[in-house]
Amino acid sequence: MDAEQPGTDLVRVRTGVYHDSVSLMRVSRAAGALPGVEVAVVAMATGLNLGIAAELGFTLPDAGPGDLLVALRAADRAAADRAAAEVDGLLEALASRTAGGTGAEEPPRTVRAAARAAGGTATLALVSVPGPHAFAEAMDAVEAGLSVMVFSDNVPVEQEVLLKRRAAERGVLVMGPDCGTAVVGGAGLGFANVLRPGPVGVVAASGTGAQQVTCLLDLAGVGVSHVLGVGGRDLSAEVGGLSALRALGALDADPATELIVLVSKPPAPGVARAVRRAAEGLATPVVTAFLGRSPDDDGGDGDGGDGDGDGPGDLTSAAEAALRALGAEVPEWPAWPAAGAPRAAEPAPRRDGGRVRALHGIYSGGTLRTEAELVAGTGTFTDYGDDAYTRGRAHPMIDPSLRLEALAAVPPGDVVLLDVVLGHGADPDPAERLAPAVAAAAARGTAAVVALVGSEGDPQGLTAQAEALRAAGADVFASNARAARRAARLAGGAR
Amino acid sequence: MSTEGRTGVRRVPVRAHATGAASAALRPVLESPRRPARVLAAFPAGVYLEVRAELEPHVIAVVTGEAVRLPNAMVVTGPVPRAAVGDDASVGDGSIEIGRLSLRAHRWWDPAPPLGRADPPGLARALLLLTGLCAASPRRPGLEGAGAARVLAEGCADASLLRAVTAAEQLVGLGPGLTPSGDDMLAGLLVALRHLGAAAGVGRAVWLADWLAAAVTFDARDRTTPISATLLHCAARGEASGEVLAVLRGLAGRQPLEPALARLLRLGHTSGADLAWGLRVGLAAVTALAERAGGAPGADRTRKADRSGGTVAKAGAGGR
Amino acid sequence: MSLPMLSGEPCVITAGAAVLGEALDAQAVPRVAVDWRPPLPGTEADLARVLADPRRAAANARAVERLTSARPVLAGVRPAREALDLPAGTFLHAGPPIDWERASGPMRGALIGAALLEGMAADAREAERLLAAGGVRLEPCHHHAAVGPMAGVVSPSMWMFEVRDAEYGGTAWCSLNEGLGKVLRYGAYGPEVIARLRWMGEVLGPALATALTATGPLDLRAMIAQALQMGDELHNRNRAATSLLIRELAPALVETAGARAAEVLRFAGGNDHFFLNPGMAACKVSADAARGVPGSSLVVAMARNGTDFGVQVSGLGDRWFTGPAGVPDGLYLGAYGPADANPDIGDSTITETAGLGGFAMAAAPAIVRFVGGDVSAAAAATRSMYEITLAEHPAYQIPALGFRGTPVGVDVTLVARTGLLPTVNTGIAGRVAGTGQVGAGLVTPPAAAFTAALAALAREVPAAPLPPAAPAGSAQA
Repeated sequence: MDAEQPGTDLVRVRTGVYHDSVSLMRVSRAAGALPGVEVAVVAMATGLNLGIAAELGFTLPDAGPGDLLVALRAADRAAADRAAAEVDGLLEALASRTAGGTGAEEPPRTVRAAARAAGGTATLALVSVPGPHAFAEAMDAVEAGLSVMVFSDNVPVEQEVLLKRRAAERGVLVMGPDCGTAVVGGAGLGFANVLRPGPVGVVAASGTGAQQVTCLLDLAGVGVSHVLGVGGRDLSAEVGGLSALRALGALDADPATELIVLVSKPPAPGVARAVRRAAEGLATPVVTAFLGRSPDDDGGDGDGGDGDGDGPGDLTSAAEAALRALGAEVPEWPAWPAAGAPRAAEPAPRRDGGRVRALHGIYSGGTLRTEAELVAGTGTFTDYGDDAYTRGRAHPMIDPSLRLEALAAVPPGDVVLLDVVLGHGADPDPAERLAPAVAAAAARGTAAVVALVGSEGDPQGLTAQAEALRAAGADVFASNARAARRAARLAGGAR
Repeated sequence: MSTEGRTGVRRVPVRAHATGAASAALRPVLESPRRPARVLAAFPAGVYLEVRAELEPHVIAVVTGEAVRLPNAMVVTGPVPRAAVGDDASVGDGSIEIGRLSLRAHRWWDPAPPLGRADPPGLARALLLLTGLCAASPRRPGLEGAGAARVLAEGCADASLLRAVTAAEQLVGLGPGLTPSGDDMLAGLLVALRHLGAAAGVGRAVWLADWLAAAVTFDARDRTTPISATLLHCAARGEASGEVLAVLRGLAGRQPLEPALARLLRLGHTSGADLAWGLRVGLAAVTALAERAGGAPGADRTRKADRSGGTVAKAGAGGR
Repeated sequence: MSLPMLSGEPCVITAGAAVLGEALDAQAVPRVAVDWRPPLPGTEADLARVLADPRRAAANARAVERLTSARPVLAGVRPAREALDLPAGTFLHAGPPIDWERASGPMRGALIGAALLEGMAADAREAERLLAAGGVRLEPCHHHAAVGPMAGVVSPSMWMFEVRDAEYGGTAWCSLNEGLGKVLRYGAYGPEVIARLRWMGEVLGPALATALTATGPLDLRAMIAQALQMGDELHNRNRAATSLLIRELAPALVETAGARAAEVLRFAGGNDHFFLNPGMAACKVSADAARGVPGSSLVVAMARNGTDFGVQVSGLGDRWFTGPAGVPDGLYLGAYGPADANPDIGDSTITETAGLGGFAMAAAPAIVRFVGGDVSAAAAATRSMYEITLAEHPAYQIPALGFRGTPVGVDVTLVARTGLLPTVNTGIAGRVAGTGQVGAGLVTPPAAAFTAALAALAREVPAAPLPPAAPAGSAQA
């Protein structure tokens, strides 16, 4: 290394080794946290990752996407060697774990081979390989007669349409691409919550939207039969709701489902009509939640769009509508007011009071962000789960680093609104890193409001998380809409 | 705690955490305040815990994925915790504690999922098929020749409460084993009457299930083994193992019957065959009662429109 | 519509992020984990295009069905000049097309030997000059429904096995096996080689032809199926199959060949690879039945000429896709070593194409030491081939794998996706013309041959722009 670059660089390329990006990010993080280590990049040598390593000043040998890159910068040679040994150990642990699952002699290399190995016992496939490769694996599932959840994003829309058409021929369902959440027979796939079994079936073009609705239902003591994600693009004009229509039909035929909730951002108008017509033809009642649907979306529809079909404006109202449709009681949604700030004593700053506090929405869920922005009616909202922020990085529900940076940058005196999503796949203890950051913000005079989306059964523990965040000085709400209203009031822009 | 007391060794217990999937039937007892329990039986594939509680299920089966998914089971991801009969345990506040192991549910399944609609003619055809398959199987129920069994079958088909209840009471705890044959036969009968009765809109069958359930669970804890008593309580509520539920779906025409029945018949020494006997007698009663009612009201196409929340199995859906 | 996954216990196949699989483990959801890795570099776009070809699934199903249901029978033995309509001055050779200039040592040696056999040259130097000057027309065996082991050189006066497909009516040809040691197919052309070839033309060929007339067609499919259960994999080990064939032929030979019967039987029985050649023709006739299915990505030929490794694909007609032939990795005879080895050569990879040879390694534990490796490696080799093949052979079964059918029908898309290349068992020829066999082992085909075929398939995908997925009744503005 040249003299200007302090410390020691250690760069290695391993060929014939593959691990997924989330696992490798964990290795990177663990290596980076070792004493004496300044930077650690452990990643597949894709163009993107090579670029990141080059930007960090590493001198890189020739390597391709099939190779594993280990680039370490440490205070001295000994620290670098120690880190390299640690990385080797972690990678070995990953490799021994890959065998997992059935424990067959050699694990299958494609979904096709896995379906064959399972010999008819498999009921569905969960595909989360990088987007450009997802089509092959998903198509394997469909052709093996299995429904498939495609968690991967960055899948071209033509491939999505092809998959869904083929699925229709084979009598199966394609959930996704970019489907973050599904619950099938109680099994949470992707980012999903631990929910009690019950009568509500959900068709969701929005993962976090479905999580909010189902968690509220669970808090009200009402369980779900299944949550069938369809992917954020399903209700676009290009895809035409191919999966949503199939999912509606499947839930209608499912004896455990007594009520269907359809959650989506506003669909393309033609698709909305088709979906509504399909919903009307079902024997099972349907509550439609087209988030933030503005009245003119329905204009020129020609079918009259009665009030019921337009759906409630936010996710909490959708959950409430579902409860009412089932004849269940609508509870007071749980809230945990910030410690040391009794709500009655809170002076709501007013515009005419001189100072208007800016509202910063720092979100990890796209639909939750949209909902909060609509409900609050003021402020700047960012979805750190958006593709633009997740390229080459873990999702903010898994790794909060980006959001913590954003939180630290909120000017003193402003209001910050965050979502924290619990459940399978998410950070095992989000409050561990978030609570200190919230406390620091509170110390700077920044008011923090948290929408805590989770169920009582979630591995992280809803109450424990709420208490930790509340103790750090945040107002915590189980309802994102209520959290947004609270934040807007604190900012003085309440509607 | 008591371990320390017995051995006199002071050591800080290190908690090991594990997760799994639990029957929703366990939710009330798991969510209640912690209660003491003890290990009732321990096998390589599972551990049975008896909880000191009036709540049912008061026996909990902690099993591996390979074991039968009983309606009172928690299926663990890894190996079954090591425990010996008589060991102390506890259940409640969200977890099951056995020795140093703390178990939490990361998934809940419904042990009594609604079956949907099934028309009586379809069920009559399923009865013929089931009878044939059971007759062809070498797996026989443990008490087939017992007089009480015959009386129970006839009593159910005639909706004769007196005969059915009397015979059922005689069968409770009858036969050898951890789950005596008589109990398994009754369990199969109870879930069949309830689920198939609801599915076919035969209110009389559900009514019969309610009465029989009340009769056999009344003093079950005193008359049979604890695990069998708990399973009778579960069956009384329509809760059954995955193997039984699969056969019910097969009878309702929702999946192939033959492989599901084959899996059920393989269970235990005679357990599977006993349960199948109960299912067959229950199905026979449902079809007989449907015929007697003369054209069941259950064939309407607006399947779900008449449901107004609540548990379908218990409400008897369109039977009114 | 009802979805089966909505009732009963879920069981999930997971591919991708480990954290999502582990979340399922924590829920005690049974699952099958895929050990996913990125595809071969640069194949992403071609894969997407080929996998989206609407014809693919049905085309592959049809092609592999034909490959596995063909019924090869040994129907006769005839001279190449009449069987293949081979004119004087034309020689066939193994693998994809090649000229003298690029031909390797053993290929040149075999061509020299053939020129000597045909009396086109008085000695090796003259033969070499003739061949270098283009005085002999060279064509691949595969272009004439034929296959030949190693150099695979066929000249008009050599005799050929004739194998017919009783199911689809095809015919394929393969030369008669010369035995081991200094033989033409390994590039040897000394006087004893030529003398043996003459004897084969004068005695062996006619005797076998007459005997076969007496026996009638012999069922090679049944013989191969039996031999697999007797420890052959039908490429590097043909001992059982040879015995089975001789058992069928011997009585007829004794009846028809008179005084020469013992000579013929001694020759055939003394050569453990005698069955290799009719076996290869059986594979060829089966693979040819799967040719020409538009949209199919099934490999119908893998062949090497000592310089290039080439493949042909059902949906791509008679085009070859090639990459450099590798040097086999294995054990060497006597004092020979890797430096003496010629790159991979021969049409015998038709056995792997049809689900035998390296693909059936698990059936032949006896040869694992010969090709290097141990018994568990043999089973692993066969198992890994299920990853890249479309079917399991209904008749060719492996006792050690619970009578599972051999992996059959290589799909170029699966090769590209998994990066797993066909396992090939092979003999190793000396690199200097005239040396003969120097060893045997395993060889890895070049990935480039498969990725080139994939690229061609991608170009063949009909350009059908997707109509918009308009739902019923929607009126797009």
